Amino acid sequence: LKDDAKKSPVRTSQNAPTPFQILYFKYATAISTIPSSTSILTTALILTMSLSLQPGGSSTRAPPTGTLSAPGNAVTTRPITTGTSVLGIKYRDGVMLAADTLCSYGSLAKYKNARRLLPVNSRTLIGGSGEYSDLQAIDDLLRRNALEDRCTADSLYEEENDAEDCAKEVWSYLRAVMYNRRSKMNPLWNDIVVAGFRQNDDGSTSEEPFLGIVDKIGTAYEDDILATGFGGYIALPLMREKYRPDMEEGEARALLEDSLRILFYRDCRALNRVQIAKVTRDGGVLVSDPYELDTYWDFKGFVTNKGEMGTDGGW
Amino acid sequence: PSSRKIPSRNQTPTSPNPHATTMTSFLSATAAVRSRNGEKCLPIHNSEGGATISVSFDGQNLAIGTGKYPTASYHDDVGIDHGITQAPWERRFSPYEFNGGTTLAISGKDYAVVAADTRLSSGYEILSRNISKLHPLTEKCVLGSAGCKTDVDQLRSVLDIKMKVYAHNHRKPMATPSVAQMLGNTLYYKRFFPYYAFNVLAGVDSEGKGAVYSYDAIGSFERTPFSASGSGQSFLIPLMDNVISHKNRLDEKRDLEAEEVVEIVKDAFITAGERDIYTGDAVEIMIIRSDGIQKELFQLKAD
Repeated sequence: LKDDAKKSPVRTSQNAPTPFQILYFKYATAISTIPSSTSILTTALILTMSLSLQPGGSSTRAPPTGTLSAPGNAVTTRPITTGTSVLGIKYRDGVMLAADTLCSYGSLAKYKNARRLLPVNSRTLIGGSGEYSDLQAIDDLLRRNALEDRCTADSLYEEENDAEDCAKEVWSYLRAVMYNRRSKMNPLWNDIVVAGFRQNDDGSTSEEPFLGIVDKIGTAYEDDILATGFGGYIALPLMREKYRPDMEEGEARALLEDSLRILFYRDCRALNRVQIAKVTRDGGVLVSDPYELDTYWDFKGFVTNKGEMGTDGGW
Repeated sequence: PSSRKIPSRNQTPTSPNPHATTMTSFLSATAAVRSRNGEKCLPIHNSEGGATISVSFDGQNLAIGTGKYPTASYHDDVGIDHGITQAPWERRFSPYEFNGGTTLAISGKDYAVVAADTRLSSGYEILSRNISKLHPLTEKCVLGSAGCKTDVDQLRSVLDIKMKVYAHNHRKPMATPSVAQMLGNTLYYKRFFPYYAFNVLAGVDSEGKGAVYSYDAIGSFERTPFSASGSGQSFLIPLMDNVISHKNRLDEKRDLEAEEVVEIVKDAFITAGERDIYTGDAVEIMIIRSDGIQKELFQLKAD
């Protein structure tokens, strides 16, 4: 995945395994389960060996653009395990993200305690909707980059550390990754919200908060309020109405919780168990534990039979 | 791969299916099936170590939902609604998305005016109301692009890099007609997986005269007195034919000042915004002259 940002979409057929590699693979599969690679193989071979012959295929090997896929290479065609909306809002002290903790398997509410708000480094936060496995892959990739940055920085100590990518850099990098994957017709099926701060030219954290979004084809933009998926239809208009640039933390949190509650009422794939996360100038990244939202079902429209309400609607 | 076939020691001469063999080579297995029926396939190893041929569908030809739908086509523009009324999982992944927007550029004697609305849409949703579609490439040249924002952003990055390399090699910034040619070549380079970008290029040439170039998605271009592209182009082009090119008018044609052209552009975007759902929110207007670029932001209806 890390190479996806660097490689150009035009590729030659350099991935076809040689007969030597095939023979090894055949013996390897006879004695071990697919797709684990064995110690017989060198690291150079492992890349092609991880190409499984199972229908899932491997996302590390992608077809050149404009040609048919070689056999064994599947591309993502639809999301399977999905998360719903992520909401983001800038406020006085920084940026706040909110999401529920549900991962749906189609219409089954399969994982009710999934984490969709993930810290990347000490000053950047991402929230992802869409395919959960792709979100985990993105999280791995970004955290691996953050680790490399920390290890190769001028100083190992965090106070002096300006080597970590700020939110805007993470957003730009992620956009390149998503674009490259979509150009190979094998997208990471996610809408990712990136929250944090900008960076000044000298590397110090800027005063200005940053909130940006990247979708699965690489459409990237920033704004003061963002929402993915269903949130764009239901929560975004409400948030735009109530937004002020100098909102206090309590106000921002209340706005996000209200939006999540309304999403729970109206989005079939939402849950009232939610998480809130914030990035502040002094406090860094803070992700809350999941908690339940109160919901109110005594609204007349929910309770009364529509035919009895005297209005024109209903069954 | 199809020519490489390792002979198998296990081949049975009296198998019911003349094409079925046990293969020792992954490649020859797939080649055999593909040559038999042209389908994509993958061999499945059984526990004895041999391989049997099985045909399965991979992502490319998997049909989800009802009915057939077209094979690989670059533009998902199925009709006037840009495919948005189809259910999201009944069509397969499209690398393109229409993000809307309109751009307009008009050239004058010693200036060029370029304008674009600031709305970013996806389907029937407004994603953002203040995204810029204008991108200055040099101090004398601005690129306005509508279409698929991710491709537009990529195109801009590619052009910026090429302009930097040019400036390093030639020790001067690129002249506008050269930029025009380079943009055309860059678009054609991706002829078989195009940038879904509808561009107008506006600037002043080396003599100081206004220059406007119109493009299509694969790089055919032409220098024109004015150019409009994007979702609202059908509303703008006829209006510009009358007002700028002076077609079908009996009064005398005269050269327009830059300020007059800016007023015409504002009226034009109000017109387009009235009827085109993807145009609205605000118009970013730039006047390009030999001595620099002036900017203005004009608010439109937000509906």
